Amino acid sequence: MTATTEPILEVDGLVKHYPLTQGILFKKQIGAVKAVDGVDFTLYKGETLGIVGESGCGKSTVAKMLCHLERPTAGVIRFKGEDITRLSGRALKAVRRNIQMVFQDPYTSLNPRMTVGDIVGEPYEIHPEVAPKGDRRRRVQELLDVVGLNPEYISRYPHQFSGGQRQRIGIARGLALRPEVIVADEPVSALDVSVQAQVINLLDRLQSEFDLSYVFIAHDLSIVRHISDRVGVMYLGRIVETGRDAEIYDHPTHPYTQALLSAVPVPDPEARDHRERIILTGDVPSPTDIPSGCRFRTRCWKAQERCVREVPALAVPDVFRAVSGPAAHDSACHFAEERQVVPAEGEHGNGPG
Amino acid sequence: MLLEVRELQVEFRTRDGVAHAVNGVSYAVDAGETLAVLGESGSGKSVTAQAVMGIFDMPPGRITGGQIFFQGRDLLKLREEERRRIRGAGMAMIFQDALSALNPVLSVGDQLGEMFVVHRGMSKKDARARAVELMERVRIPAAAQRVRDYPHQFSGGMRQRIMIAMALALEPALVIADEPTTALDVTVQAQVMDLLAELQREYRMGLILITHDLGVVADVADRIAVMYAGKIVESAPVRDIYKAPAHPYTRGLLDSIPRLDQKGQELYAIKGLPPNLLDIPPGCSFHPRCPMAQDVCRTDEPALQEVSDVRGSACHFWRECLHDRDH
Repeated sequence: MTATTEPILEVDGLVKHYPLTQGILFKKQIGAVKAVDGVDFTLYKGETLGIVGESGCGKSTVAKMLCHLERPTAGVIRFKGEDITRLSGRALKAVRRNIQMVFQDPYTSLNPRMTVGDIVGEPYEIHPEVAPKGDRRRRVQELLDVVGLNPEYISRYPHQFSGGQRQRIGIARGLALRPEVIVADEPVSALDVSVQAQVINLLDRLQSEFDLSYVFIAHDLSIVRHISDRVGVMYLGRIVETGRDAEIYDHPTHPYTQALLSAVPVPDPEARDHRERIILTGDVPSPTDIPSGCRFRTRCWKAQERCVREVPALAVPDVFRAVSGPAAHDSACHFAEERQVVPAEGEHGNGPG
Repeated sequence: MLLEVRELQVEFRTRDGVAHAVNGVSYAVDAGETLAVLGESGSGKSVTAQAVMGIFDMPPGRITGGQIFFQGRDLLKLREEERRRIRGAGMAMIFQDALSALNPVLSVGDQLGEMFVVHRGMSKKDARARAVELMERVRIPAAAQRVRDYPHQFSGGMRQRIMIAMALALEPALVIADEPTTALDVTVQAQVMDLLAELQREYRMGLILITHDLGVVADVADRIAVMYAGKIVESAPVRDIYKAPAHPYTRGLLDSIPRLDQKGQELYAIKGLPPNLLDIPPGCSFHPRCPMAQDVCRTDEPALQEVSDVRGSACHFWRECLHDRDH
């Protein structure tokens, strides 16, 4: 993983509102589900950007918009500097080739009536310029080999494979067009623990082999840390904190990130004894009715008057602006402060700064 | 001992043959104790629990051997009517997916109250009052109003709390929780597990926690039984297992989870796939995936051997496995 400083995907003020309407003949909009409500990030060439959040935070909607499966209500998506948000027709097709998706559920994202060869080769039907007809079977077999499946399985059907193998098929399909960006939406959350590790290692290997950039979306913070160079934490349609992985995991400054990290069970009974737990009260508010000011304030133990009135910007908080340490990263909180919630491991000698 | 399962065997007849889901499982739970049953899908962890509850469909399922002692009585010898009296009052189950486990056309108050009407012969009105109490007990805000609401009107975390309330309604001696927090978000998971642990302490229940998540186990369990291909391969107090697993499968599971407090290099991955229950490998069922496998593993099935007086491992080479970790 050699991340560069050359941006490959830039997202600016991305918004997706689903209108709520009333009436049958005369539809009147009475509100909106604000699934994504102003998201900015940059993905650099060769890096992995992890996006974490709980269900309903809008992370999957972001993924769909990146792949043009959903049209943004507002905002701009740039691929290698070119605005691709409103492309259509041939231009859109060309861009889509370069941004491919790996889906969460390997049981529903593969057509049960198609053979593996047809599934992995289907992208070539849509983009015939990538592989001439006579060459396709060989290409598909190569892809199966790359993802660790026996190339002889080309005429089998999805039900003949286990969950982990199916996810490999999904990955092979994503790779078929040699894309530069892969958007993976919870690619391992439907898999068993012992198989998860196999798929994560595969994604890691493919990244260096094919020079890929990943947007990796998940709710599992441990997996995101393992694979990501940078991480963005989403809450109710916005990124509330973002930074390099050590900045987010070892020096979180946003209370939501701290709560999220402290809630992750650590598989070590020794560590649980000297570990602080922050247990949030209540549930995530409805995205149709987002709280004023800071959207996290209804569950935040630090919330004050100012949080009701003022929306905190995603920037380096004032208190950290003077210092140049790992705590100085973007965090959308008026009262940001550093708090270590993940016990530091002795064997990694990463000192402060 | 509150519950003791001895050499339980369960099979399912399918179109393709007989699936051996549980192959001689023994475990025990005492009052106030939490036993975690850990395993991947198809390991038989849920089927064992369903046999204890007496709730899986027969046919196609069949209990072909073993005994289940609950408070001294062998459940498998009881008539269905007697078992029904034990279910709910003596032992109760919390299911993974609260939305599909609750009845969508009955209000939660009716469903909670039903327990008291059926088992305790209460009037509908008294049962409703008890339902409100229970909902308060599991910290559902405005319980008196919400008792009339239907399952879809609650969030995932609240629905799971209603499931917990329902399981605890008659103060059973044993609660079986089958992946109680898997469908929930992490911050809500922590709330629900905390509540469950608190109530368990209060009522001194025995708790069987079925899960695939080693993290959840570390947080709450006293003992762990690790299952693979319908058998317990390792059984130990929770601290021992995390410090030094005595079975290569347990070790593989522990090594293959990414840790929040470590940014590792390559993750350790157990090679291969979980076995097909229609065709379980001979010898040790884990041998095709085991890094330590030798000839004896392909032919001789290892029994659960005593590692210490509180732990056991079904591996021919448990000594080497334990030792390997100590470096």
